[in-house]
Amino acid sequence: MKKILLATALLGASMTASANAPGGPGCGWGNMLFEGQSGLPIHLLATLVNGTSGNATFGMTSGTNGCDTSGPLAYSGSSLLAMNGVLEEVAHDIAMGEGEALTALSVSMGVSSDDRGHFNSVLHQNFSAIFPHESVTAEEVLASIQAIMKADQQLVKYTA
Amino acid sequence: MPLILIAPLAGLLFLFCLLPPMAQASVSVAELAESPRWQALMHVNRGATLRGRGRSYVTDENFFLAPDGRDNPAAELHASIAALARPGSESRCTYPARYRFLAEHLGWQEAEPFAHCEEYLEWRGQIPEGPIVLIFPAAYLNSPSSMFGHTLLRIDGEEEDGVWLSQAVNFGAQVDSSDNSIFYIYRGLAGGYPGYFSIVPYLTKIQDYAHLENRDMWEYTLALDDEERRWLVEHLWELRDIRFDYYFFDENCSFRLLELVEVARPGSRLLDDYRFAEVPVNTVRALDDAGLIEKRVYRPSKAVELDHLASQLSPSARRLARRLAADPSLATGEEFQEHTAEQQRLMAQTAYEFLRFRNRTRERDPQVARNSLAMLRLVNSLSSQVVAEAVPLREPEPPEDGHATKMVAAAYGQRGGDEFGEVQLRYTYHDLFDNSTGFLRGAQIEGINIRLRSTESSALKLERLDLVNIRSLAPRSTFVRPVSWFVNGGIERVQSGTAADRDYRPSYFIEGGPGLSWQWGSLTPFIFATFRAEHNHAYDPFVTGAAGASTGLLWHAGRGATLGVQGGGYYLTNDEYRHRAGATANLPLTRNNALRFDLERLAVRGDADTEFRISWRYFYD
Repeated sequence: MKKILLATALLGASMTASANAPGGPGCGWGNMLFEGQSGLPIHLLATLVNGTSGNATFGMTSGTNGCDTSGPLAYSGSSLLAMNGVLEEVAHDIAMGEGEALTALSVSMGVSSDDRGHFNSVLHQNFSAIFPHESVTAEEVLASIQAIMKADQQLVKYTA
Repeated sequence: MPLILIAPLAGLLFLFCLLPPMAQASVSVAELAESPRWQALMHVNRGATLRGRGRSYVTDENFFLAPDGRDNPAAELHASIAALARPGSESRCTYPARYRFLAEHLGWQEAEPFAHCEEYLEWRGQIPEGPIVLIFPAAYLNSPSSMFGHTLLRIDGEEEDGVWLSQAVNFGAQVDSSDNSIFYIYRGLAGGYPGYFSIVPYLTKIQDYAHLENRDMWEYTLALDDEERRWLVEHLWELRDIRFDYYFFDENCSFRLLELVEVARPGSRLLDDYRFAEVPVNTVRALDDAGLIEKRVYRPSKAVELDHLASQLSPSARRLARRLAADPSLATGEEFQEHTAEQQRLMAQTAYEFLRFRNRTRERDPQVARNSLAMLRLVNSLSSQVVAEAVPLREPEPPEDGHATKMVAAAYGQRGGDEFGEVQLRYTYHDLFDNSTGFLRGAQIEGINIRLRSTESSALKLERLDLVNIRSLAPRSTFVRPVSWFVNGGIERVQSGTAADRDYRPSYFIEGGPGLSWQWGSLTPFIFATFRAEHNHAYDPFVTGAAGASTGLLWHAGRGATLGVQGGGYYLTNDEYRHRAGATANLPLTRNNALRFDLERLAVRGDADTEFRISWRYFYD
């Protein structure tokens, strides 16, 4: 039950155009934490370019803006794929056929552990369809994955 | 027979509970307030740190129900009983762990005491039910706040779901981004920053540490049972938006986590001893010693993963992978095609990880994105031809197996013909020659390192004091090009004065500079530029500047032994120049004992002394 809620939260949120910055809502410039913020310019740069996370596109800068809040959990506002840096990890895992990012994706889509092996290999075989070009967005990736699942006997039940 | 006795007894108890709480509790409240769990829930300082003993560490008034709650746990207990006893009380939604404590001790029995707490129940439903894990992202020299590593907790879901969607519990200082570095360190030391707990998806922590900062992470599953985990999670809710003071040394991330574990398991004795500073690795050790660590998992950083991939390629294949990253069309060329499918896939994977490594922190570049995707297509298409299992990454020795953090040493030596004896005390933590087992190799952090020397003709005198001595050797390779750096400040005796009365005089100095370093097997060569300012009574100006360079070679000879040679020099603005050359060998005898040999040639304007030292180093605490 909890899993389904989780997946709904993740998927539901991913359909909206803009996700909140990872780290949670209400995360502003004056709100950075010791840990996760670093001293050197390169990291400062990472911090600057990651101020907002809109619609993720493949190849984007990854990472978070180093700010945490003590508010509610950030799941509600940001989807897995739309988070900076996740699409590239998922793409890598689909290309390889397994990995932590792919597991996280399957969990967030509600795929039971028995079906994950199959989920992984179906996505692996359809890599080119899921990532047709480098400008693909998280939303398009998700739509392709759902279309592939709909066409698969074993996975169709997760798309309802 | 016993049943008959119990029934009226239970009835009596029930009646007892219906009495106004104050009346029935007046005897036991004081005792109850002294119980370890209540003290833990109140975050009372029971002597673990210097400031505010007997008071709560929480500085936020919102945390307390009694006006003097911070100083008086018994008054707070009274106030809590009054506020939480009534069914439907709003305060229950704020203090679920306190409620549980009182219910257990006062025999309150309600089936659903939080039924009216919608927000709390929603949050509680989102917190996974699995194990609690201590996370230790290893040292990161490029940030003053994570130099010794960091610790946080993680709350897991079901094991087969992996940990990406687990929740991370972090305690950190809220920093004003307009503060500059110096002010930031000062406020960190003096307690000028407020500290808060936060809960974020663990994934964002993996990204911060393993992907962006390239720090290895160690994950230690804690041996807490369901009941203990429930205490911890419920208490976390009580700490939402609650302010603590953040002190860089003692009341830091690690200390606060120990307090959480104390809530879960009061009497774990984690906070019994006074500490001047809480070093994150010692938190791991403390939990280990208390038998609280059940399992350990190593999570390599992206840099280590890239290195691991590259290490499976020949030097020429490595270079080809690098070119491939810039020009994917090479994949159809003869040079690429003559490799096995396995090597081809490794090259493509390496090239992808290299592109990500380089561009993770940069603005999106369409060309890079195109090449990255081309690499993944290659990986994907080659996968069907690869049958061999991936070579597993060799896990380094865990941080808790490293030497202790403080050190004392005794040395015998000679300079010129004169003999001397030395005692040394180093408050923290590791230098480049110390046994690197469990430490980040090439990362030196010394804080408060004192050497006192006695010669035949003079009593004990300060020979050297390093307030800070930090050196980062970051090896450059085909794929990564980091800059090394060092900074060192304190007092040292150096040759100074005019030729007629030249002597070793104390010099208050600060020096530092950028550098380069490489790794050839077990050899690490390095070069550094040196910029220096010193205050020395032998010179007229209050501060004398200097610039120079140094170079050296480290050899990790195996079994924790490290040997090295180095030399360097600098010119002072008053036309003096000093140079020194030396060799050092450090031989660990056990985890916490080592022998060290130093040979140094110290020179100023051609006047040179040779010094030899042999020291026994003992690490503790």
